Amino acid sequence: MDLQREAPEDEIKRLQRCLNDLVSVLALPAMWSGREPAQIVDRLLDSLLGMLQLDLVYVRVDNPAGGAPIEVAKVAPSQNRMPRSEELCKAINQWCGTDPQKWPPLLRTSLGDRDILIVPSRIGLHAEIGVIVAGSARADFPIQTELLLLSMAANEAGIALQEARLRSEQKHVASELDRRVAQRTAELAQANEALHLQVALLQKIPVAAWTVNPDGTTAFVNQSWLEYTGQTLEFVRSSPEAWMSAIHPEDREETARRFWDGIRTGQGFTMEVRCRRLHDGEYRWHLNRAVPLRNAEGKVLRFVGTSTDIEDVKRSQEDLRTAEERTRLIIDTALDAVITMNVQGAITSWNKQAEVVFGWSKSEAIGQHLSEMIIPERQRAAHERGLRHFLATGEGPILRRRIQVTAVRRNGAEFPVELEIVPMRLGSDWVFSAFIRDITDSKRAEEKLRESEFNLRQLTETIPEMLWSATPEGVIDYCNARVLDYTGFSAEEIMGGGWMKLLHSDDIAETTRAWMSCVRTGAPYRVEVRTFHAADFTYRWCITSALPLRDQQGRILKWHGTIVDMHDWKCAQEELRNTQAALAHMTRVMTMGELTASIAHEINQPLAGIITNASTCLRMLAADPPNVDGARETARRTIRDGNRACEVITRLRALFSKKDASTESVDLNEATREVIALSSSKLKENKVILGVELADDVPFVTGDRVQLQQVILNLLANASDAMSTVDDRPRKLLVKTEQDEGDRVRLTVQDAGVGFDPQTAGRLFDAFYTTKDDGMGIGLSVSRSIIESHHGRLWAAPNDGPGATFSFSVPGGHKAATAADSIRAMQNPPRTDGA
Amino acid sequence: MMITRSLVSVVDDDESVRESLPDLLREFGYAARTFSSAEEFLASDCVDQTRCLMLDIGLPGMTGPDLQRELKLRRQQIPIVFITAHRDEAIRTRVLEEGAVECLFKPFSDTAVLEALNTALQVN
Repeated sequence: MDLQREAPEDEIKRLQRCLNDLVSVLALPAMWSGREPAQIVDRLLDSLLGMLQLDLVYVRVDNPAGGAPIEVAKVAPSQNRMPRSEELCKAINQWCGTDPQKWPPLLRTSLGDRDILIVPSRIGLHAEIGVIVAGSARADFPIQTELLLLSMAANEAGIALQEARLRSEQKHVASELDRRVAQRTAELAQANEALHLQVALLQKIPVAAWTVNPDGTTAFVNQSWLEYTGQTLEFVRSSPEAWMSAIHPEDREETARRFWDGIRTGQGFTMEVRCRRLHDGEYRWHLNRAVPLRNAEGKVLRFVGTSTDIEDVKRSQEDLRTAEERTRLIIDTALDAVITMNVQGAITSWNKQAEVVFGWSKSEAIGQHLSEMIIPERQRAAHERGLRHFLATGEGPILRRRIQVTAVRRNGAEFPVELEIVPMRLGSDWVFSAFIRDITDSKRAEEKLRESEFNLRQLTETIPEMLWSATPEGVIDYCNARVLDYTGFSAEEIMGGGWMKLLHSDDIAETTRAWMSCVRTGAPYRVEVRTFHAADFTYRWCITSALPLRDQQGRILKWHGTIVDMHDWKCAQEELRNTQAALAHMTRVMTMGELTASIAHEINQPLAGIITNASTCLRMLAADPPNVDGARETARRTIRDGNRACEVITRLRALFSKKDASTESVDLNEATREVIALSSSKLKENKVILGVELADDVPFVTGDRVQLQQVILNLLANASDAMSTVDDRPRKLLVKTEQDEGDRVRLTVQDAGVGFDPQTAGRLFDAFYTTKDDGMGIGLSVSRSIIESHHGRLWAAPNDGPGATFSFSVPGGHKAATAADSIRAMQNPPRTDGA
Repeated sequence: MMITRSLVSVVDDDESVRESLPDLLREFGYAARTFSSAEEFLASDCVDQTRCLMLDIGLPGMTGPDLQRELKLRRQQIPIVFITAHRDEAIRTRVLEEGAVECLFKPFSDTAVLEALNTALQVN
């Protein structure tokens, strides 16, 4: 624009426009109000580019805090070939330098391919706020109004920026304040929460907690305490000792003393008291502790305390103590010496028995080296080696089992012990327990036993009897040499079940049955069995018997048995049996001979009557006149006496019957009556006063009637004979039958005779033993054989007064006595009580 | 002439004898009394009147020979005829030695009894 060619109206227009622009510039602060400096700068540049015909405009606002300045450059929209804002700012700084104070008022330079005029305007009096740079390629730039406008704009911008800066500072302070307030608030909230937590914690921890003021009054108690004791906060605060109402009455005085001591001295306290639990009323042990809280000067602010229920702990401590005491007692009363040793080999415990066995007291032993105390010197190195080996490898061949070793006493004497070492882990270390038993005595006893066993074995091997033993199960485990010699078998062949090979095949089944029965019941074993005899290759009768050896509880430990060859004896018995049978027959004949007189007497009596009556009868009939009535009477008596004679003969027939030993049902009463009838005259002759007591209810016996009668006859005759020399007392004879126990019948013949000498009682029943001048001495012997063949028993006993009583007892209604029974009875005589 | 029957006493524990013998004795013309034991006879009032005693040897309690001795001690000279069922000559000999008139073994005949009584009473 060319100012020189301006018309006045143009001049007016130009000035008009300038005024408008000035007004616009002056209006800018209103727009800037409250804006940030960057916005102010931005608006300023836009306004300047709009008002003035500029190609570029640049503002720099320095940062009063010393930071990077705000730099903005803009170019007119028409100057689209202008460089970008950053490059422009750089270029302007190069042109003008960094110090605005030194900037020239006008600067000609080139921008791109164009020359350009640059006018800087200071913002602030000394450009302390910044600068505005306006640039234009116009030749008339800058005209006066433009300079005025630029300066006005710079001024206004300076004021606005100053305000904005101030405002920004205020705003910064305010926000800083806000931030600090917020931060503090957050911190407070946090602190508050922590406090709440602490209080809740204090209230809820499962331990009673409390604080006490320095004067002893209660400041605080937590809920745990209140719940435990049932006290209220008000109550606790009502007096310093109020809380003690929960303490066991016996503990209260001590509690108060310690409490006040702790408060007064400022030391706090620790005490164990019994405290009552509300919900079950139980007094439980508590640990009450209090510590002082002091300020920086050391003044006590509060006491803080807890009360902990230690009842269970205390109980378990008590239990532990009891258990320990018990263990100690057990160990001390143990029969073994019990010693423990640590890994160093030092003794850590030493019981009473150890003191007894080794002669060292506990106090002497503890801490000493075990090897030096009880191990003979020559073995110590081995002991130490073993210990080291175990600690290194965990192996110990002698551990955990009983071994026999030599130990040494305090006096240096060595002795045998049984030792067991048991290692135990105690924490990280090993502890060794040693159980030691002095076996000097048992060793000695063992040797003795071995010796006596040897002697016994020698005895059993040299004794001239066959011996054997068996296990409780009946397995033969020993036979002496006699058995082997006799049978010709080896021990191996006989042991176990092999003994059956020794037996006659006919006897095996029965013998095995008998043996197993005895093994089962523990009854004495006794069998007669044919056993192989090696010397002559025959089976010989042997009695094999055994008795069980029992322990104190009655359990069978072993069977001990013998084998006795009784072959010859059995043969002799057989012979004797035959002899006795012969004798029995002979006696019978002889008894009958003796009886002949009695029999004649018995028959002659009625015969005398018969003949006399018959004679009288004849004479009465021959008289004149005949005495018919008298004759009839005498004839009648003749017939009666005839019948009487018949009866006598009938009875005699039974006695004289030629029958051999027979079996029938015998009424012993009847048989006895018959014998009495037949003997009565002889008894009468001997002036015997006979008493007869026959029980009605005796059962019949089964057997040989004649044999039994022979026995009765024999007993009566003996009784009568025994009294033949007795004149100073009645010759009383009592014959009695009665029921004996077990359905047996007993017959007793009691006399008042000379009796028998108890010395010779055992021989009464021996054959050919007699005290009579004219006796053969076989009567009682045969009688006993007869009774025994009837499964009965015959015995004699002296009377309380004079005389003797002979009795036999036979079973009632038993099975027929056979010849075999008779033989057995003779072979195995039962006990001979009183005989 | 008044005939007084002589008294013969019989001592025997056997009833058949005590029943039968008195009848026979009466047939012979004697009076007869019976006793079952020696004691009974001694206790009776017949001892003095008895002209002959027929006495059993085997009596219960006091035997025939005992009674014989007892009567001798009492100086009662009664002739005694022993009767016994026990045929034992030794006893017979002994009692005869002791003064008995006769010893009859049962059973005896009526004539043997009559002879013995005649001997005892010396009836010709």
